[in-house]
Amino acid sequence: MTDSEAQTAIRAYAGARNYSAATTERWLRLDAGDGGALLQLAAELRLGENQLRDLWDWAEETAERDGVTLHHVLAAEPIGAARARKLGRNDKLKAIKAALRRLRFPQLTDVEDRLADLVRTMQLPRTVRVALPEHLEGDQVRIEITATSKTAWRTAAAALLAAAESPACTELFTLLGEAP
Amino acid sequence: MTLGRLRRWVPDAVWIERSEDNSALTRRVRARLPEIPVYVVDDLSVAEPGDFAAGKRRLVVQRHRGTFLQHCPAGTTGMVCCNYLVMSSASNCPFDCSYCFLQDYLTNNPAVKVFTNVADGLSEVDAVLRAHPERTFRIGTGELADSLALDHLTDLSSELVPFFADRANAVLELKTKSDCVDNLLCLDPKDRVVVSWSVNAPVIVAVEEAGTIPLEDRVAAAARVQAAGYKVGFHFDPLIAHDGWEDGYRDAIDLIFRGLDTGRVAWVSLGSLRMTPRLKAAIKARPLRGQLLATELVPGADGKERVWRGLRVKMYRRLLEWLRQVDDRMPLYICMEPAGVWEKVFGEAPPDRTVAQRLVAELR
Repeated sequence: MTDSEAQTAIRAYAGARNYSAATTERWLRLDAGDGGALLQLAAELRLGENQLRDLWDWAEETAERDGVTLHHVLAAEPIGAARARKLGRNDKLKAIKAALRRLRFPQLTDVEDRLADLVRTMQLPRTVRVALPEHLEGDQVRIEITATSKTAWRTAAAALLAAAESPACTELFTLLGEAP
Repeated sequence: MTLGRLRRWVPDAVWIERSEDNSALTRRVRARLPEIPVYVVDDLSVAEPGDFAAGKRRLVVQRHRGTFLQHCPAGTTGMVCCNYLVMSSASNCPFDCSYCFLQDYLTNNPAVKVFTNVADGLSEVDAVLRAHPERTFRIGTGELADSLALDHLTDLSSELVPFFADRANAVLELKTKSDCVDNLLCLDPKDRVVVSWSVNAPVIVAVEEAGTIPLEDRVAAAARVQAAGYKVGFHFDPLIAHDGWEDGYRDAIDLIFRGLDTGRVAWVSLGSLRMTPRLKAAIKARPLRGQLLATELVPGADGKERVWRGLRVKMYRRLLEWLRQVDDRMPLYICMEPAGVWEKVFGEAPPDRTVAQRLVAELR
């Protein structure tokens, strides 16, 4: 695609989706490779302006950090793998966003992975849900029990009590309190 | 274009509000910049360039309209507030730090401004101090400007220091990244004036603080004012989680406190890099920027992005540990953090707005 073809295609896509002039202008200022890669992603996922901007910002910041181009980031293996998955549009968008977030926040997502592993090792029943603070901005863990009977309640509570005594629980709060 | 180290800032041109052309401050500025083009104008909007960087090359001398004394904007809901008051004696700063919030805050009026009617500001301060003799106030001029970077042109410190030296219930903080301290050396602060420096790891100073002098020169200036009778302060703000940050900040602490009397350090603060969405956009729009946006910043409850909390706590704890190794009597605090982070770092969160009282009390 030539520069002018890419610009025409970007204008057409942004126009059809009612993108703001500021976002469209920002998009048109990219070089043809980056603008085209973004257009391909946007078209593939039928992205609205805010959805595109979220992915774009992370991809741009990752590119800047790593000294590569935007289209290089969007073509990186984890993003490519997420794009190749046979998923519906919303699930695919979620998968791509997660992959891009992992690239953008490697230290944070490492800790999140470790915390998720710790919760898994507690082997809590499916009726117990442990929610960690978003972006780990805080040290409050939210625990939700779903029970349809006294027995289920007691089972969940017993599992939680056992988990509270486990080394995994200690490590979880240590990790939430201070980075390793 | 890169900005060289600015030892003593000289603007490319000066715009003077016509009604202020005969003020004492204007006369001083004119006398010290005899070679610089001067425009006396009625409408100051002509002095505002469209570009933030160009604003830092222009000086506007004008009357300040509105209130001089304001509460520090850091006192956001949910954050422990240190009850800092800001007196605006100038606006914008000749340095061009990549992380500076003024890029957003002053985006529409970026020219560097000094105000001719600081005496009005001091009257305002005086009224507040007299109205609340039971309270102690911590007042700074280094929020919307560098407190001293223009002092070689304005001599404002010669008005501010004697005023606060005579006040029992207030402390003035002059916060700077410069070494423009000459005017201070012949004044007696009577322990009512603290001169403080914004400091950072040497690599951050070199890469992210365009136009500023190196850390060792700031420390040399601190040693000079300390020898002249001032207490000094240091602000490790913003702490940036860069590669090798532990070595970087450790080196900075070693360098800063090696030659100073730590018994005459008024306070040391720590603050993590924080970024509003608008500031982020302003930084992205600038042609030159460092690696700032590459750090792992996530949104917090106040809408500002910071590195995630566990990493902030780790950074604060490390720095506090090293600072306490230097001298465990130095008063320390953290800036713009919720009570939960204070508790993790210090083991307690001070009741709201008592930080300033404690810091001022420890000066005596």
